[in-house]
Amino acid sequence: MLMLDRARELVERRSILRLLVVRDLKVRYSSSALGYVWTILDPLMMALVYWFVFGFIFQGHRKGLDPYILFLVVGVLTWQWFNGGVMDTTRALQQESKLVRSTNLPREIWVLKIVFAKGVEFLLSIPVIVLFMIRYGVPPRWDILWALPAAMLLQTVLITGVGLALAAVTVLVTDMQRVVRILLRVAFYVTPIVYSVDALNQHPALKYVMALNPMTGIVDLYRRCVDLRTPSGASAFDGTAGWHVPAISAVVTVALFVLGSSLFRRLEPAVLKEL
Amino acid sequence: MAMPSTTQTADGTTGAPVIEVRNLGIEFQQNRKRRLSVREMLFTGKSSSPAGTFWALKDVSFDVTAGEGVGLIGANGCGKSTLLRLVAGVMLPDTGSVTVRRGVAPLIELTGGFLGDLTARDNIYLTAGLHGLSREQVEERFDEIVDFAEVRDRLDTPFRHYSSGMQVRLGFAVVTTLDEPVILVDEVLAVGDRAFREKCYKRMEQLIGEGRTLLFVSHSEKDLKRFCTRGIYLRKGEVVADGGIEESFQAYVKDSDKASGK
Repeated sequence: MLMLDRARELVERRSILRLLVVRDLKVRYSSSALGYVWTILDPLMMALVYWFVFGFIFQGHRKGLDPYILFLVVGVLTWQWFNGGVMDTTRALQQESKLVRSTNLPREIWVLKIVFAKGVEFLLSIPVIVLFMIRYGVPPRWDILWALPAAMLLQTVLITGVGLALAAVTVLVTDMQRVVRILLRVAFYVTPIVYSVDALNQHPALKYVMALNPMTGIVDLYRRCVDLRTPSGASAFDGTAGWHVPAISAVVTVALFVLGSSLFRRLEPAVLKEL
Repeated sequence: MAMPSTTQTADGTTGAPVIEVRNLGIEFQQNRKRRLSVREMLFTGKSSSPAGTFWALKDVSFDVTAGEGVGLIGANGCGKSTLLRLVAGVMLPDTGSVTVRRGVAPLIELTGGFLGDLTARDNIYLTAGLHGLSREQVEERFDEIVDFAEVRDRLDTPFRHYSSGMQVRLGFAVVTTLDEPVILVDEVLAVGDRAFREKCYKRMEQLIGEGRTLLFVSHSEKDLKRFCTRGIYLRKGEVVADGGIEESFQAYVKDSDKASGK
């Protein structure tokens, strides 16, 4: 019930949350000349590198879908939101410590504003995906109508849950940030970004272990929005694609959210003393 | 014992005290180092710094009724600021409870909400918004804030180019235009040049005149007697005296004389 109270309080303060998100974006874009370009450039360069390495050099053994560069861009931009959100939420409370210590807002707001600010950046990067779709003549699929909102909702909930836990723990445990940075790098390769989760179809057990990583299903949902093809030229998501992977993701995501927010509540008094 | 809690409710019924503090206690680590490094966590599970805790506040109870001016008195480290933070709801108690029945304008860390990269104009909207003012309300008060802080000619300068005195002035101007009926002040009046200090005093007196409730932390006898009618003297986290400002302050003076006489 405590959680519902908090949620209600946050809904009441949504105008303040919006203010903070706008402030974050304003600061980000007013302090650099290229602003928006930076948000796009970094993931785009990475997508190009992966395309060169896995699409070009390892051509024969590629485990992704076609067109591979579009497949990569969707994955990398999605990952960028997750990665940026998690990295920034670990510092959420320390970065704003003066504000946390002087305004009586529900403390979750400091994590949420980062999740949403990064979410807005993700939305702003969607036109890039559209450009790639136009360039390669790939139409969207009807699934986009529900898969895109579902994916974004799940990702928001996931980053919030992970972020709440990390924001609180980082205040109490020094060098947590370094641990998080390493784990994120590992997670990038464990998540099907440069390859498809179906590359593991010969190892069903391993595939389900991978599905426990909630980002696996989320990335899969994003890719269902676009008419990607298997190497044989068949549509990748028609009929055969199972729902197990996104479903497992959803369950794990909700569990992580509940865990993260209760950990945040439990550590809150200690965190406030420490700030 | 009741669950520790800090509640702020808007529906203040007349008659009930505005601030109700009951058996309040908060415990800190002795050396203020609670953090563990990952190495310590993995290998020992304990912090390498010496253990031990102390109660920064212990069993503190009092009521403040609407319109009262209450000064918190005591030596450094006696828990005054901690108490103020607990009332502001920016720290959570380990025991007991704080109930605040009206909105609070905290004059704590005045420049905390400001961002160096944004202009003063943007910062005013942001900080006032964080304290709950709508955009229209800020627009209404914008001139008042700017005139009070005397920053009109530098409104579009990035905030980090302000001198520290000007930064605090702007902070004070924003927070004191809030309509909140409860005001918490943590030694912020000591800043600014002479002329501005006098202006702050006038503003404070005006706020008290409007019937706001004041909780005031200061070491200055003059300020305390100017704004407060009641004094609460804290010693090592416990309330030693709670009465007229004059008597409470005398109790503090007597104690500290005794300590330095030893």
